[in-house]
Amino acid sequence: MSRFIRKMSRRAIMQALITLPALSLFRSQQPVVDPDEIVEINGWILRRSDLA
Amino acid sequence: MIFDSYEAYKQTGFKPKACILGSGPAGMTIARKLGTAGIPIVVLEAGSREFSEESQDFYRGKTVGDFYFDLDITRLRFMGGSSNHWAGWCRVLDKQDFEPKAWAPDTGWPISRADIEPYLGEVHDILELPAFRPDVPVSDDIRWVQLIKSPAVRFGEKYADELDKSKNIAVVLNTYATELTGDGKRITGAKLWSNGQDAGTFSADYFVACTGGLENSRLLLWSNERSNGGVVPNAAALGRYWMEHPTFEGGNAVLANYSEFEVDGSNEAFFSPTLAAMERLQIMNFGIRLIESPYPNVKKLIADLACTAPNMAEWMSFQLDQRLRCAAQLYVAWEQAPLASNRIELSKTDVDHAGVPRIELRWKKSPLERRTLLEGLRLFGTTMAQKNLGRVRIDDWISNGGDYPTNEETAGHHHMGGTRMGTDVLKSVVDANCKVHGMDNFYVGGSSVFCTSGQCNPTTTITALACRLGEHLGKVIAV
Repeated sequence: MSRFIRKMSRRAIMQALITLPALSLFRSQQPVVDPDEIVEINGWILRRSDLA
Repeated sequence: MIFDSYEAYKQTGFKPKACILGSGPAGMTIARKLGTAGIPIVVLEAGSREFSEESQDFYRGKTVGDFYFDLDITRLRFMGGSSNHWAGWCRVLDKQDFEPKAWAPDTGWPISRADIEPYLGEVHDILELPAFRPDVPVSDDIRWVQLIKSPAVRFGEKYADELDKSKNIAVVLNTYATELTGDGKRITGAKLWSNGQDAGTFSADYFVACTGGLENSRLLLWSNERSNGGVVPNAAALGRYWMEHPTFEGGNAVLANYSEFEVDGSNEAFFSPTLAAMERLQIMNFGIRLIESPYPNVKKLIADLACTAPNMAEWMSFQLDQRLRCAAQLYVAWEQAPLASNRIELSKTDVDHAGVPRIELRWKKSPLERRTLLEGLRLFGTTMAQKNLGRVRIDDWISNGGDYPTNEETAGHHHMGGTRMGTDVLKSVVDANCKVHGMDNFYVGGSSVFCTSGQCNPTTTITALACRLGEHLGKVIAV
């Protein structure tokens, strides 16, 4: 791994770092929250959608 | 015929076939059934026509365990018995209440609801009830049930004229059996106490104890002790499996539509679980009393606000000079698991004026019941949210496992068990016909024969069982 980094130019490393945040676009979506799910909060029995 | 003393009754030479002890809903109903069938009956009533402190004093006792009402205020000792302070709430035990439940030991009756249904027509006449509507399923878990608030029949008042004119029924007031004597096969007699003194002995072919859900056990325990087991030969369960309907305020609700459920004159609607839900959660039966907000218009809005923003609502209530509570209130009453450890014992130190030991009631609510309370409210709240009927908030002491409050209703003044019905002589006292196991001429009427309590008020079922026992006894005596 370290030999691989040594072979890379500083410019290439900088470009890779700059593009890192864009990788989140390729991450899978967050799990979908069921708005009808029943939750109990502070004694209240609610639908998840009540919390929006 | 109604007499004010045993002395006055004795002079008539009346020859009864059966003696009924107690003139409450059970005793009075059985007497009327037999009297109508032409069978001469004597009813011994410990009290007079009216309440008196002197009579009531015989009911003093002690409770060990959970907080409970004083035993001399939770029942009444005069003609008509505890119907004299009954609120009139009526419902028959559910079909499922008679079935055994694998998750609750010692449940199940030797009879089914179908065995008392033929008598419900008579019960409706006696208690002056309209017809019940069928339960309405709200979800797979919750039923909207009907609990009719009847005119609260006072049996002593309602039937006094009829009994006074009756040729077959003699009611003897101020007179009761301090002790029954038996030989292990039959009741051979009763020692009487009338108007504050010993009144000698009395005998009849048949005896029926209808002295109440606490007093039946006391009478049988004391009589059995004095007769060396000759009154209740199989006494392992005598006094045991005593039950109440614990009742507490359980939370609040904000309703989406206040006209969704038809409420009664007190703005109340009632809900219970389905058998499937009880089975899935392994809980007992319960009843949720939803008291809709009695407030109209702006007051209702503020009451709704009191659920979510109590400080703001309190300020607004103050401006209106009103004390408005959070929307709808939820009260929960539930079925107690029948436990042998919940029992009536005779005091070793305290006796009444006639020398009979007073009651020592040992009563505790079980962990299963605590779970029934919490899971029951969750079940109801989940149904309300899923169906978008409203939102429920469970009180903190329930969610957090706190102690039961001692400043609330506590229970329903419903005294059940102690001489329960069954086939196993080790776990019951009477058979399916309410006859004491092993005895030929001794029967028990009233809620002391209940095997389980269900969730509803017991008077309707007591009256139905009394009609059934009256009919059975009529056939037995006629042979």
